Amino acid sequence: MGDWQELGQAVFIGLTFAFLVAKLISIVVSFRGDQLRITREDDLQGEADASRNGDSGVLEEDAGVSEEEKLLGEESDDDWEGIESTELDEEFSAATTFVAATAADRMAPKVSNDVQLQLYGLYKIATEGPCNAPQPSAMKVTARAKWNAWQKLGVMSPEEAMQKYIMIVTELYPNWADNSNTRNKDEDTAASVSSSSDKARMGPVFSSFVYEEELDNDLTLEAIHVSAREGKTQELLSYIENGVSVNLRDSEGRTPLHWAVDRGHFDSVETLIGKNADINAKDEEGQTPLHYAVVCGREAIAEFLVKHNADINIRDKDDNSPRSLCSSPWPFMHSTKVLQ
Amino acid sequence: MDSGSNTEAPNPNHDPSSPSESDAAPPPSETGIEAIARRVQESLSLSASARHRFWETQPVGQFRDLGDSSLPEGPIEAPTPLSEVRRDPYNLPAPYEWTTCDMDDDHTCTEEFLRWALRPPGHFKSWHIGVRVKVSKKLVAFITGVPARIRVRNEVIRMAEINFLCVHKKLRSKRLAPVMIKEVTRRVHLENIWQAAYTAGVVIPTPIATCRYWHRSLNPKKLIDVGFSRLGARMTMSRTIKLYKLPDSTVTPGFRKMELRDVPAVTRLLRDYLSQFTVAPEFDENDVEHWLLPVENVVDSYLVESPESHEITDFCSFYTLPSSILNNQNYSMLKAAYSYYNVSTKTPLLQLMNDALIVAKQNEYDVFNALDVMQNESFLKELKFGPGDGHLHYYLYNYRIRTELQPSHLGLVLL
Repeated sequence: MGDWQELGQAVFIGLTFAFLVAKLISIVVSFRGDQLRITREDDLQGEADASRNGDSGVLEEDAGVSEEEKLLGEESDDDWEGIESTELDEEFSAATTFVAATAADRMAPKVSNDVQLQLYGLYKIATEGPCNAPQPSAMKVTARAKWNAWQKLGVMSPEEAMQKYIMIVTELYPNWADNSNTRNKDEDTAASVSSSSDKARMGPVFSSFVYEEELDNDLTLEAIHVSAREGKTQELLSYIENGVSVNLRDSEGRTPLHWAVDRGHFDSVETLIGKNADINAKDEEGQTPLHYAVVCGREAIAEFLVKHNADINIRDKDDNSPRSLCSSPWPFMHSTKVLQ
Repeated sequence: MDSGSNTEAPNPNHDPSSPSESDAAPPPSETGIEAIARRVQESLSLSASARHRFWETQPVGQFRDLGDSSLPEGPIEAPTPLSEVRRDPYNLPAPYEWTTCDMDDDHTCTEEFLRWALRPPGHFKSWHIGVRVKVSKKLVAFITGVPARIRVRNEVIRMAEINFLCVHKKLRSKRLAPVMIKEVTRRVHLENIWQAAYTAGVVIPTPIATCRYWHRSLNPKKLIDVGFSRLGARMTMSRTIKLYKLPDSTVTPGFRKMELRDVPAVTRLLRDYLSQFTVAPEFDENDVEHWLLPVENVVDSYLVESPESHEITDFCSFYTLPSSILNNQNYSMLKAAYSYYNVSTKTPLLQLMNDALIVAKQNEYDVFNALDVMQNESFLKELKFGPGDGHLHYYLYNYRIRTELQPSHLGLVLL
């Protein structure tokens, strides 16, 4: 970064400033990224004020604020997030890398000293904060010019400096980001870790289970069990029509009906019962589909099974019946109890 | 680091120019510091080149100092005279202004949890900082701090615990976070406090410890239905529910809810227990009364009172954070318990925590979360906690610890 050359003519300042003012007047539609943004009239006023302060870099900035503010009014509280974003830092880093590479490349088109100094000042603000270094002697022309560029930015915030820096680089080299390896890599990575960015916050972190396929489970399922588990009623029907037994067991003795009940697929349960599935089929542990319905709290399915004569008193190998396992006050379990 | 995870802890002694860098060769202009930062980021699967220019300007442990044993432990910068602390708030973008959130006002703060979290003994209202839109007065960002005494090795230091940095999504491009951090820091300095502790889900310069969340299903069916946990293709719901089933009542004789009269005994128990950890809060009776005396649906504490001697021998606690569930027709809230401080002297920790799970289940919590801090690792697997995908990194501001701590050396839980 340090390789800036001598101070250019004052005319460049005039030209740059004139350009920015011209841009200010003409901006009604401004682009940021791929997004089209309509700028309102009062924003232009804000920009004009800003530019009178010699603070020409804030044009797009202020427009953005108002736009966001307007959107805010329409948004619900669901849009709150914790943050610790580094997108700006990353983009700024990429921009400085690009500028350094461009400055080192003799073939690259040169930018004016004035713009270079402007970038220098912004860089110093972004990385070191406001200038409080002593003023270099007037004899040291380059050092003095650089100091002036830094010092005149005053107490600008590092974030603002980064944004302005990026804006200037983007104006000079609209396609800089495409040519920057760093940036492309960042984007690839960002896409692949998007889930971690949800956790980018200070304070409470939302965590949920890491998904781990159970390793010690050597259960084998047939296709009809998978269909029952997924609630794919049409597939179930076609297996049965093609001669697969409606009571086919998986390696732990479960029928398709067990699986359909376990996952709560009412339609599939209905279909299997309609195809004369064994309603009191026992798995290896002696549990029937009604045991499953009770344990899993599937009231509608349990009621349906009871109506189709599932045995509520059938014992599994631990001597538990569906009725004894049922902690919910389901009337269809109670009324039958009375009959016993 | 957490043994249950595949991610590698950043090794402070790792040579930054090691060959493993070659795959992700940095641009030529990148310095060694950035290369290390990059490695730290990559090792935790975060954005590969997230560089933290803001944090590089702050008195925090820097990535480049990792493994530098010549640096002293303790404050990084000496306190400046109070008269030199900036008097005026930092500047915000023009449409916004600073505001102080009044947590005493029921209209402003209906959230019971925040009233508990933000009003401990000696709290400063000026540390409850909001940013609002000047015109509409709508709150768009906030950050908070509360005072605490935290011991690091043998030094007890007055610190701010910084928490709840939130910025409205629409303002994330405004980079409000750094200015909010600077503003809260300024206000902390004005109280003559120069250190802070905070946690984050991301890596910034530089964690003093990295912990992992573990989760214990209490209501597995609901957790599966809302997508908090997944049901394996070869696992049945029926078996999963049986796996996580808990007894209807607690098993330890004398296990009961903490009451006001227990504050002195609990304080003694806790102070004694926490003294073994490298970093831990220094609680007095006022702190215990505030942080641990049960508040319904905010914080719960249970203890074991010996039926014979009536001595308080063991203690466990958890706080409550409900989360909203979006897009589910059956459930709108997830009620989560977070393990807080637990002390076992007579009752085995495993049994104590199993009783904590039982009371949480009785009180209709859906999940019980715990970090692998303190001695928690000793019961997590046995009590059927599963590893979570969330890491929690602990940080100290303006206080250097030379080497990263094991989670089991941390005696601190920040909300």
